[in-house]
Amino acid sequence: MRHMAAPLTDNRDTGVVGFWPWFYQRISGVLLIFLLVVHIWMGHFSGLRAVIDGRQEELVLYSIVQQRLAHGLFIFVDFSLLALVIYHGLNGMRNIFLEWPPAANRAKAMTLGLWVLGVVTFAYGAWALLAFIL
Amino acid sequence: MALSFKALSLHGGASLDRNAGTRAGWWAWFLQRLTGVALVGYLFLHILVISTVQAGQDAFDSVLIVLQKPFFVVLDLFLIAAVVYHALNGVRVLLFDLGIGLKQQAGLFWVCMVLTTILTLVVGYFSLPLIFRN
Repeated sequence: MRHMAAPLTDNRDTGVVGFWPWFYQRISGVLLIFLLVVHIWMGHFSGLRAVIDGRQEELVLYSIVQQRLAHGLFIFVDFSLLALVIYHGLNGMRNIFLEWPPAANRAKAMTLGLWVLGVVTFAYGAWALLAFIL
Repeated sequence: MALSFKALSLHGGASLDRNAGTRAGWWAWFLQRLTGVALVGYLFLHILVISTVQAGQDAFDSVLIVLQKPFFVVLDLFLIAAVVYHALNGVRVLLFDLGIGLKQQAGLFWVCMVLTTILTLVVGYFSLPLIFRN
C-alpha cells in the first residue's frame, strides 16, 4: 500500500487511508491557512472601518463581492478555496469514516460517493460564484 | 484488513498520552474531529447561502443583511474559534509528521488552546462595533 518510506512517525497507520490522501490532506491544509486568511480578511475586516463610520452599509453585499471578483486574483483565490476546502473537508470525513468498520469494509464505494458529492458541490459553488463574474 | 486503533493516532492522537501523563492528546484529537465535522457542515451552509445570488442581487443582499445582524456576528466568533483551533492543531500534527515536537505534544496542545482563545478575543474585540451597532 505504501508508495514511499513510512512518513516520519512510526505510530501512524497510513495503510487504511493511503499515502496520497494523507499527503494531499497536509498540502491542502497548509494552503487553506493562507487562503482563509485572505478570504476572511477581505470578506469581514477590510471594510470594517467603512461600516463603523457609516460610509458603507454592510461588510458583504452583492456590489462589494462583485467588485472584488472583477480582479483575476480573487477569482483565482475563490475557486482555489472552493476546490481545496471541499477536498480537505470530505477527505477529513473519509478519514473519520474509515475508523468505522461498516464504512471501512466498503472503502472504495464510500470514496467514490465522496468524490461524486465533492464534484457536485464544486460545480454548484462555481455556478454560484459565476453570478458575480459574468 | 483488520482496522487498527493505530488509526486513531492519525491526527496526532491518544497513543502519546502515556508519556505526557495527561489526556491532552485525546482532547486535541477529539477537538480536531469536532471542529472538522462542524466546519464541513458550515461549508455546505455557506455555499448554499452564497448561491442565493442566483435568485438575483436583491435576494442575495436581503439574506446577507440578516446574516450580518449582531446574533450572527456572535455566531461567527464561534466559527473563527473553530477555524483557528483546527488550523493551529493541524500545524501541530504536521510538525509531528515531520518528527518535531512529539515529546512536547501535550504542551503544544495548550499552546493551540491559548492562541485560539487570544485570537478569538482579538477578533471579538474588533467585532464589538458590529455587535452593538444600531
